[in-house]
Amino acid sequence: MFCKAIAWAVGFGSLAVIASPALAHHSFRSQYDADQPVTLTGYVTKIDWMNPHVYFYIDVVDAETGEAENWGFEMGPPHMLERRGWKRNSMQIGDELEVHGTRARDGSFTANARRVMLKATGEVLGAASSESQTITTGEPAR
Amino acid sequence: MTPAAVLVAALAASSGSSQDTNSTDVRPAPRWPDGTLSFTGPPGEIGNWDGRPGSTLGANVFEDALDVSEFNLPTNLRIDEIPFKPWARALYDYRQATFTKDDPHTRCKPSGGARMFHTPYGFEILALPDTAEIIFLSVGAPHSWRVVHMDGRAHPKNPEPTWFGHSVGHWEGDTLVIDTVGFNEGFWISREGLPHTSQLHTIERLSRPDFDTLRYEITIDDPGAYTETWSGGWLIPWIPGNEPFDYLCQENNLDVGRMVGPRE
Repeated sequence: MFCKAIAWAVGFGSLAVIASPALAHHSFRSQYDADQPVTLTGYVTKIDWMNPHVYFYIDVVDAETGEAENWGFEMGPPHMLERRGWKRNSMQIGDELEVHGTRARDGSFTANARRVMLKATGEVLGAASSESQTITTGEPAR
Repeated sequence: MTPAAVLVAALAASSGSSQDTNSTDVRPAPRWPDGTLSFTGPPGEIGNWDGRPGSTLGANVFEDALDVSEFNLPTNLRIDEIPFKPWARALYDYRQATFTKDDPHTRCKPSGGARMFHTPYGFEILALPDTAEIIFLSVGAPHSWRVVHMDGRAHPKNPEPTWFGHSVGHWEGDTLVIDTVGFNEGFWISREGLPHTSQLHTIERLSRPDFDTLRYEITIDDPGAYTETWSGGWLIPWIPGNEPFDYLCQENNLDVGRMVGPRE
């Protein structure tokens, strides 16, 4: 019901990383594919402010098909977000967001959020993403 | 004078000395009233230790990848120098090839061995003189604690295998030496997926060369997985302002089903 016709785009892009990377409790590249950056815009449908990762969900409407897909975005744990300025109520159900992230390898509508912008105010919040880290031996430094 | 006041005075005095360094830019490690090294901050100075990305026990070298963190000890072996038994090397290679997707830590299992020391979100090392214990409080391991007995006891003869094993410790100068046996096989000894068996015996050496640096080194003695003992370690920075926080991995762990590793 919060769906609106919002374009979404998937592609390579140069994205600003707002916050310094955080070390996650899992290997980033086992779950997310750095070759699939996503930029999505939509309205918040659900927020799970829980460990080990805060998740929020937005409805994204494909501009071509008009069909809505509910995307889930992983961020850092609540405490690490709070240290970067997030509060539990920084976003609300129904807020419009623009999110930059990296899609999950399993093909689901899931991504790791790197940059989250509240469209109404333009406020940009870091997401405590673990992407730009060296995670295991052999992990390319990005 | 209360014990707390004694501690404040002692740590404040030692923090201002140049006992551990010739540089005026580097703060010396704080000490307890009896002169023992402290792994905490002076009273009123909040902070703890937080392992850094890239800290590994063995260095892989790839043409297009950098894995040698500035935090790793210069004496660390390369992976091809670690005395793996063939099955252990094969298992390590599999874990690497699958991007460590099967890491028990990400299933919210406790992280024994060195794994705790490069797990995110910080840990504290608390000396409890009343009970002759040193306690490791680790936020991300997940929300785990580990005890080291400092009362001179020996290991039990046939310890029941556990995640953190049975640890006894002693001081060698300013180095805390921890001897541990009795591990189960449910965890990985390091983030990169080095295998072990229940025959694992570790000797960890922790020191604080300056206020902001914890030096961690572990000797791996596991005839089930390695043909010889070997050692590795890394430096861990002090993070001012870090405190333990509520982190329960089990609360909403959605990662397990999504950690699929590389897909063709």
